[in-house]
Order: sequence, then structure tokens, then C-alpha cells
Amino acid sequence: MNQQYTYPFTAIVGQEQMKLALILNIINPSLSGVLIRGEKGTAKSTAVRALADILPEIDVIEGTPFNLADDEDPDVIRECFAVTGQVQASGKTHGLTRHKVKVVELPVGATEDRVVGTLDLEHALKAGEKRIEPGLLAAAHRGILYVDEVNLLDDHVVDVLLDSAAMGINTIEREGISFSHPSRFTLVGTMNPEEGELRPQLLDRFGLCVHIEGISEPEERVTVMERRFAFEENPEAFCARWLDESKKLVERIQDARERYSDVKVSRENLLAIANYCLEVGVDGHRGDIIIMKTAKTIAAYEGRMEVEQGDIDKAAMLALPHRIRRQPLQDIVMDVSTLLRAKTSDIQE
Amino acid sequence: MLSKLYPFSAIVGQEELKLSLLLNAVNPKIGGVLIRGEKGTAKSTTVRALGALLPDDVSLAGACHRSPAVVTLPLNATEDMVAGGIDFQRTMKDGLRVFQPGLLSRADGGILYVDEVNLLDDHIVDIVLDAAASKENRVEREGISFVHPASFVLVGTMNPEEGELRPQLLDRFGLCVEVTAERESAKRVELMVRREAFDADEDAFIARYRKDNERITEKITQARNRFAGVTVPSHMRGFIAALCSENNVAGHRADLVIEQAAAAYAAYRGFREISVDDITAVAALALAHRRRDPVPPPPDRAPGERSDQEEGEREKGEQQEMSESAGEEQNENAEGTSGEKGLEQGGAAANEKDSGENDLSGFDGDRDEDASDVPGIEQLFDVGKPFTVRKIHSPKDRKTRRGSGRRSRSRVSRKQGRYTKSTMKRTNNDIALDATLRAAAPFQRHRDNVLNMAVVLKEQDIREKIREKRLGNLLIFVVDASGSMGAKGRMVASKGAVMSLLIDAYQKRDKIALVSFRKDGAAVNLPVTSSVELAATLLKEMPVGGRTPLSAGMVKGYEIARNYLIKEPEARPILIVVTDGKANKSLAAGKPIDEVFDIAMKISMEERIRFLVVDTEEPGLIHFGLAGKIAGILGAEYYKIDDLQADSLLSIVKNATT
Repeated sequence: MNQQYTYPFTAIVGQEQMKLALILNIINPSLSGVLIRGEKGTAKSTAVRALADILPEIDVIEGTPFNLADDEDPDVIRECFAVTGQVQASGKTHGLTRHKVKVVELPVGATEDRVVGTLDLEHALKAGEKRIEPGLLAAAHRGILYVDEVNLLDDHVVDVLLDSAAMGINTIEREGISFSHPSRFTLVGTMNPEEGELRPQLLDRFGLCVHIEGISEPEERVTVMERRFAFEENPEAFCARWLDESKKLVERIQDARERYSDVKVSRENLLAIANYCLEVGVDGHRGDIIIMKTAKTIAAYEGRMEVEQGDIDKAAMLALPHRIRRQPLQDIVMDVSTLLRAKTSDIQE
Repeated sequence: MLSKLYPFSAIVGQEELKLSLLLNAVNPKIGGVLIRGEKGTAKSTTVRALGALLPDDVSLAGACHRSPAVVTLPLNATEDMVAGGIDFQRTMKDGLRVFQPGLLSRADGGILYVDEVNLLDDHIVDIVLDAAASKENRVEREGISFVHPASFVLVGTMNPEEGELRPQLLDRFGLCVEVTAERESAKRVELMVRREAFDADEDAFIARYRKDNERITEKITQARNRFAGVTVPSHMRGFIAALCSENNVAGHRADLVIEQAAAAYAAYRGFREISVDDITAVAALALAHRRRDPVPPPPDRAPGERSDQEEGEREKGEQQEMSESAGEEQNENAEGTSGEKGLEQGGAAANEKDSGENDLSGFDGDRDEDASDVPGIEQLFDVGKPFTVRKIHSPKDRKTRRGSGRRSRSRVSRKQGRYTKSTMKRTNNDIALDATLRAAAPFQRHRDNVLNMAVVLKEQDIREKIREKRLGNLLIFVVDASGSMGAKGRMVASKGAVMSLLIDAYQKRDKIALVSFRKDGAAVNLPVTSSVELAATLLKEMPVGGRTPLSAGMVKGYEIARNYLIKEPEARPILIVVTDGKANKSLAAGKPIDEVFDIAMKISMEERIRFLVVDTEEPGLIHFGLAGKIAGILGAEYYKIDDLQADSLLSIVKNATT
């Protein structure tokens, strides 16, 4: 009966950029994640854990731990059943269950075999057969993979994450097992930049990046304390009070998910995005693509069918800070629009 | 295929990349492609897309079996899965050793693709290289002896920001392409439009480009048929040779690769004879990673040095290498130049402002030997006599270096790190279950199964894991950049010393961090990283001036070390403080120097951190010796900058890391 209550997402005060970035990723998982940079005690982790509250539901094939979608390649489905020792019912009659998108937490100290999956020890000894014990990457498929203090993650675990984040596939070639399964996840990481930076390659895998600071408005700080106090006093009542807000947000997200694929982005808009990236100086093309997708998602979230300039500006704020080409060891840009203004005025002069 | 592939023909731009892949598809003898480039430039997309359009009937080398044309080698693959090993499940049932082929077997006749190839474990790299060179994979392990053909095109992608590839591997790639993002906005728009269309409806998008893809497939097939008949006029060979020598290329591999690639290109374009056009079109691709400048920039100096120690290390394993002569040649060249280059290099670093500091440059000399025999400190107290550095690359020096090269790959005894292979030696009960089962499998039929278990394990079956960590130690430089350091080339000297340590760190793949303190506080110029290039650039640009907040610097350095220790409790970071000790700015209210002593006392409690203090105070009438006191409190090894010669500091750190 001892139900755990999480602090409701909608009750978080301020930190609009972070909340927006998270919501956009829920609407459109192909944005491939958010990196949340900021000092301690800025509700980073609270916000991510609170996501559970507002996540949509998905259909998942029953009987495997791989969170497979119904429209996955039948061969893949068969293999996923096989490696975990289950025999798939003949034909395409696997059952479906519906559950909420999961937030899977990857602890900083996780070992590689727990992340990618490993040989099922017990089964190998008991039955003398190879079977796979799936890892966190299987559990995170179609969900959210959350890494707190992502900058402290072990190098070889990062390598593994890069591999799967890049391809959407987790390939296991170890301990006598050769197997791959789909693993497309939204990577959400939090970090405190004071404790070191991320490796460039991993940095680029995060679609969006937000920088958060403690709130400086005294009034808002008071609100933070009041709500926190109320929550600790009586979590049940507190959550009940925010239930309506949460429901509204869930509906809005659902609505935006459906609208997303119909949102139009004009050629002029795309040109604006390309010029934006060229002017501020971005490595590669992922920046362009992410801005485009983000702008579309913002439009969908705001209930529009067409992308506007404002969406692009907002999207660039989220998609570019960590992609702007830096001098070695220069800090990550926090304000993209000022930089753009500075650069364009340089050109005009 | 698990997910739908973006069609090759729909990739915007990246002509060089596409060309180099197609040439390899026509002629696998070219020896693969290394794709270097910034993030998000469709490197991986292009490679995987190639797989979809390779002709189906005859695979690359004419092998008969048909497997996915692109086999991905994940970074965390274990040895048995790459080379192959015993299939324990079947071996147990049949009582006969059944060989389970590995990745190399699957890649036979296709493409072996390594994403982030610069991060691959050395051990796996060796296996892959041996197979690539000999075109077969020889397995001698777990009681099986097995050889199978392994002829594949090696394609690797890497982002140089993550560290460079070791030269031995670099040279094995026939071609090398640098990819950058499109600079034209129209093309960038086109790219976004296509990406969006692909995401919206993958099948429709693929269908739209099917014709174009088929056309390319057809061209490859025709080129393959035509290829055997392509001739190389002898004057064209002369042209190739001239191109190579003009670019100071090491060895003959470049010549061969250019010839093969040019022939493939001629075949692809429908010609039967190589022309100048073919050569110029492919030469840049073959020379990009082999060209050597007379005076390379700092980090490049190290590769020359590395290649001979690597070679030494690998000598045995490479006996059967086919292109031995080419490798040898390159090796000799590298040896011949690395010594000189080292001098020029170190000189360039130290010389920039003050030619008088030239003696710092010669850290390649054979002084290493004395320094590493004596536990380090004593001989350095000979004040005032700068070492004369012999400018000869002595064989003794080579030996020491070879040793350090081995150290760079550290085997870890704790149950941490990447499991790469197994051993029969029992040390720590880190059981490798898969290897244990494989070892036990052949005997199952003959063992008494009293407990009615599926597998009966005996003591002699037990195998333990050998784990490896790619990176060695952590060196944290805490450099005084206050005003007093600007005087009389102090900073130049310190920079020279730090630079030589950086180069050593690069070779051993140590991690480094750089903290400087000046004016009001300390700044982490470089968080823990293995990118020595960054550190080198940064070091050059480090500004000097202002007060001396030494305590802030020490605290910052300590914080870095402590954070690193949380992740790597077994590590022994080395904190190197370069300062004159004249602190005049404190963190809190107290007297600056007392605060420094206090902090030194506190941080010396952490026994896992080693300390090294380099005193930059000028010898003279007024002499405070503060840095010496700090060193005393820290329990640090202590050097004066004037005694500090790059090569001796180098060997001292080496001793400390052993």
C-alpha cells in the first residue's frame, strides 16, 4: 500500500527551457534526447523522474524484455524471442500489452555487461544452453534512458552508448553471444559542468541542450519552497491537486504527437535554418536536422500546422548551444541568439 | 536489417567519401577507407548505405556465401567473438569441438565496419589487422586450430577530437577521407528536405531512389568485370612514384594503393587504361594520411616515434604479414626521422620566445637511462649544470620507450574494465563463464554427472577474465600563470617542460588535465581528457599576468583528481604543480601562504594522489624557497626549474607511473 509519489512535473517552478526540451522529446522521440547542464539543486533530476507522470502509453509485444513494437521486422521479433529462451507462438499471434513509456536509469557505476546484456549465467549452468540476459539498452528501447552525472560515466560505457545511439541497434558480440536488437532511446543526461565536460562525440548525440541555473526571483524561490513543503507534508494530496494540470499536459502532448507529421515547413524556413547554422558555425549537419525537427515539434505543441520564424529561433536556442564550434576549451555557449547577433553585426561592419 | 537504410544515392554531397567507398567496392585490394571528420557528417550513414547496393551475386572477393555485406564490429566485442572460438552449446551436446566462427568470418567477402575506430581496444585491433593483412584468420585457442579466409574491406570512421589513431593502423587503411559539412546553404536545405522525407515515409523514399541505387550497383558490377583488363602504362607508374616522393611518403604502400585505386577508377569510368586524371583523382585520398611535412606540428611528432615502438612490440605477431617489406621500410624511415623531429619539435615549443631555453628540447636523449635507474630525485639536485643533450637517437632509449609503450595498455586486476579475453591463470576469481563453459564442453560426455547438473565443471575448466582499460594514468598540471612567471623566460621554460610531458602522455594514452591560476582564481583550462592536441594548443595560448592565487589552483587540481578517483578508484593520478610558491591571493581571509600550507597538508592526506612540485623561483639574493616547503608538506618530489630538463622530468614521471 506504500505507494511512492513522484513530484508532479507540472508543479516544477520555472526552468521553462528544460521543461520544454523534455516535453518536445516526448512528443518527438527522434529528437534524440536532452542534455541538462546546471548546478546542483536545480531540479534537474526531479524533472526527469517526474516525466513518468506525463509519458504516453505504447503497445509492446508481450513476452520479451525488448519492448518491441508490433511493426518490427518479423525476423527480429523471432530472434528476440529465441535468445531469451521463449518460443514465439506460431504465426503472428504474439500478444500485445500497453504500458507507459519507461524511464530507465543508467547508474554511473553500471558495468558494461549490465548495459548491453550478457550471457544468462544461471541458464548456461543449469541447461547448458546459451541464453541472453538483456541489459539496460533493451529495457530502454522506445523509452527514455536517463543518465545522472553523465559526464562521470566510464569511458567504455560511453563507447557502447555511442554505438547504439548512432545506429538505434545494440550489437552484442561478446561472451559467445552474437546478437543485435533494436535499441532506440531518448537519451536524457544531467551534468554539472564543473565536474568536467563530456566527450565531443557523446555531446553531439544529445539532440537538445539546456543550461539551467537556480532561480533568482525571490518570489519564485518562495513558491519552490512552499510547494516542496506541501509535497513532503502530504504527497497524496499534493499530487491530487496537480492531477488536472498533468492531465491537460498529457492531452496536449498526445495532440501534438498526432499533429507532428502534418506540420509543414517551408523552403524559406529551411534556408533560414541552414543560414543560421552556417553563420554561427556548427560542426556537421546534425544541427540543421535537429533544428528542423525541433521547430516542427514546437509548432505541433503550440497547435499550429506550419513552422514560423519564432519556432526556428526557439529551436536553435535548444539545438545549438553544444554544437557551436568552439575554440579548444572555450565554454559552451549559453545564449545562441546573442552570438548570432554578434556574428551578423561583424559581417555587416 | 533491423532498421531501414538511407539510400546511398540520396546522400547529398560528400563526393570524396562516396568515391572512395565505390573504388573499394570495385577493387578490395585498395585496402579500405578511413573516414575522418567532424560529428554529424553522414559518415556512418554512407558506409551502411553502401552495403545495400553492393552487387549480390559475386561478393567483393568472390566468396560464395552471402551474408550482410557490411558487418559491424562493436567497440566492446570480445576476442572470441571477433576471431571465433568453441561453440559450447553444440560442443557439449556432440562431445566434439565445434568451431563457432566470429565476426571476421562473417565479414569475409564483405565490409568490416568499425565506427569510432580510434576507440577500439588495441588487442582487437591487432587481430583485425593481422587478418586484414594476411587475408585469413588463424585461430589457435581453446584447443582448436582453425584457419578460414577473411578477406574484407576495412572501413573505419573516427572523429579526431576523440584522439588520433595509432600510426600502425592508420597506414593499413588504403584511403583516407576527410569529411566536412556542406558550406552551401542550398545543399544544406536539400539535405534537410530529404531527411524529412525519409523520416516521414521510409519505404516511399527508398523506392524513389531505387533506380539510382540500381544504376550504381550496375556500374560497380561492370567495373569489376572490366577491372582485370585495366592496364597501367609504365610512365604512369613513374608519375605515381614522383607524387609519393614529393609528399615525403613513408614506405611503398602509398604507391601501390594509388595504382590500385587509379585502376579501379579507370574501370569505374569505363576506361581500359589508367590516365593522369585517374591518378590525380585518387592520389589525394591515398596520400592524406601518409603525407609528412618536414616539420610537423607537436602532436604529429609523436606518431613517428610511436610507430617504431609499436612495431617493436608487434614484431612477433607480424611475421606472416604479407606486405612485410613495405611495413619495414616505413618503420625504418620513421626511426630515422623521429629523433631529429623530436628535437626540432621540442625546440619549436621552447624556442618560441627564448632561444636560450633550447636545452629543454632534447628530451629524446639517452639520459632517460640514468634517470630511470636511479630512483629519480638525487641526481637532479646538481644545481646549475644544465644537461647536455646528445642529439643521437640511441638504442637504449628505444628500449625504455618500448617499455613505456607496453604500459599504456594496462591490464586491470579489479573486476572493472572491458573484458577482452580469458586466461587459465587463476588470480582473482573474476570468472569468465563463457570461456569456462567452452573449456568444459568437450569433456561433458565423459564426466560423472552425480548431481545431475547440465554442465559438470572441474577446477581445470575455470577461466578468468582478462580486462583491459584503454587509458593509463591521469596527469594534472597546475600551472602558475601569475605575473611573476612572465619574467626571464620562466613561463617559456615551464611550458617547454609541460609540453614534453604532454607528448609523453599522448604516447602512453594518459589522460591529462590542465589548471592554471592567475589574478583572482584558478581555472580548469582543460578538463580531464585524452586529447593532447587540445592541451598543446591551449598551452601555447595560456596568458600570464596578475596575482598568484596558489591555493585556488591547488584546490582545483585536487578536485579534478578526487573526481577522477571516484570513477577510477585504482588510478594513481599525479598532480604536477608548477609554481614559485609566492602565493599572494588567498581563497578565504587568511594569509595566502599559510592557507597554501594548510591546503597542502589536507590534500596530502589522499594517499592515492602523487605530487610533484616544479619550483620556478629564480635563484638570487632574495630566496624564499616556498615551493620547496610546499613540496615538503605535500610529500612531493621536488625540482627546480633550472635543473629541470625535459628528459629528466619525463623519466621521473615514468618512474612514478610504473
